[in-house]
Amino acid sequence: MTDPKPASLYESAKKIYPREMSGRFANLSKLATVTLLGLFYAMPWLIWDGRQAFLFDLPSRKFYLLGLTLWPQDFPYLALLLIIAALSLFFFTALAGRLWCGFACPQTVWTEAFIWMEQFTEGTRSQRMKLDKAPWSWNKLRRKGSKQFLWISFSLWTGFTFVGYFAPIRELGYELVTFSVGGWTAFWAFFYGFATYGNAGYMREQVCKYMCPYARFQSAMFDKDTLIISYDENRGEPRGGRKRSVDVAAEGLGSCIDCTLCVQVCPTGIDIRDGLQYECIACAACIDACDSVMDKMNYPRGLVRYTTEHALQHDKTHVIRPRMIVYAALLLVLIGALITSMSMRTPIILDVIRDRNALYRELPGEIIENTYTIKLINQSNDSREFELSVVGVTGITLNGVEDTLVVAGGGVLSLPVRARAHRDDAFGVMKIEFVATTKDGSGDTKTEDSRFLGPMP
Amino acid sequence: MITEEYRGAKQWSRNKQAVFAVVWISFLCAAVGTMVFFAVFDPVDLTGVFDEDLELERDAGYAAGFFFFWVFSLVCSAITAFLVRTAPKRDAAHRTKQD
Repeated sequence: MTDPKPASLYESAKKIYPREMSGRFANLSKLATVTLLGLFYAMPWLIWDGRQAFLFDLPSRKFYLLGLTLWPQDFPYLALLLIIAALSLFFFTALAGRLWCGFACPQTVWTEAFIWMEQFTEGTRSQRMKLDKAPWSWNKLRRKGSKQFLWISFSLWTGFTFVGYFAPIRELGYELVTFSVGGWTAFWAFFYGFATYGNAGYMREQVCKYMCPYARFQSAMFDKDTLIISYDENRGEPRGGRKRSVDVAAEGLGSCIDCTLCVQVCPTGIDIRDGLQYECIACAACIDACDSVMDKMNYPRGLVRYTTEHALQHDKTHVIRPRMIVYAALLLVLIGALITSMSMRTPIILDVIRDRNALYRELPGEIIENTYTIKLINQSNDSREFELSVVGVTGITLNGVEDTLVVAGGGVLSLPVRARAHRDDAFGVMKIEFVATTKDGSGDTKTEDSRFLGPMP
Repeated sequence: MITEEYRGAKQWSRNKQAVFAVVWISFLCAAVGTMVFFAVFDPVDLTGVFDEDLELERDAGYAAGFFFFWVFSLVCSAITAFLVRTAPKRDAAHRTKQD
């Protein structure tokens, strides 16, 4: 490295002790945390039709979502879903700023939960600061120890829940009690648990500041009509301390009493009064803090508030604007495409692989034969009967195939198949189609292209 | 009025920022890469591709794939970060005595 004095790799940032805050947005954030974490921890335990409702069964390569079973071949749906999720993030960012960061991001949500445990064991901000400075004592050991105990148990439970999305959680619970959890399963549970512990217990908003790509590029989606959290400089300045009885107008003071509460509550340690900064994760703690002070001073609320740049400049805020229309249109098209393709999806997969060893075989009676391996997958949950046929060459027939093929629910049938046609009809490379038709009257069919080779004419 | 005590103050050192960004972003890339790769290939089908005698369990295959992708993107990101950070601040032609 070229730095003359390389700083130590593990030099730690000065610890931030965010002050606890109550108010409208703190309540909203608590609600979001409880709801989202509640969903995360409860969802794997839900049962649908006698099976885990949300199970991404990696060992058997099938995804169960409520009544739906998705196979690896359905990956395009997942890709489309992820694109929709990303675009929704853009849409909401342009509309309301970093809502995601402040209320829904797993980093924020788990950090919030870890801070609750910290406050429960170590007390308020000032108590925590005092405790850290104090020499080791029985009290300090007890408080720090119980915090670690809560954090570690919570992390382990989180890791266990995480792997419970990928392997049946009830069986996993049984294995856990009997100490027979598989090696890799245990590894991933510890891995995820440890990541939660590190990210939510120690790194916290440093993750947002230094490691999150979204935090860096979200400003590209901002414009002057985006909802941001801002300090109203026109109203607040000149700031300064004063008695409650002071006549502000006479003294030439603004509304900001410079109590620094907005800085103390900030989890990223910025001063909102310096303007919009990329470290701001829009948690709105400073709004709650400032509102409580304004109430005490009998000033109107909203010195720090959700607003837009246009509103701050006393211009009109436009909610509907070209950017929003483009994002919304794209979103609607993609969601429409997903719904349409999902509803038109037939739960059958037909794979045809031509035998590569021989081009074709000539049989007595001027018959040309090609061989194929057919893979018929029944993606539904019930056993189904199929009929297999082939079209594309005059008089082509299938040999070695029973009239009715039974494939169990979620089963795969692998079948060698011989297609035969008369030499007069089969020459060169011909396009054929295999058709699998269900015999239960549902009309579900699946076709798959292949080739039939004959002698050159 | 705002003392260091109130502020989060000190930043992570540049080295620490780089190390954590590289580790985290390559981790995310590895997660996406693993997902896409194993949506197409079944680890069981890959048995015997690299080594005739290799008997791969599915979950071991997923883990091996994930760590391969992680190490791979970790090396890419780390070299990129190293090059960006150690590049000469100015070209030799524009260098003044002070540089």
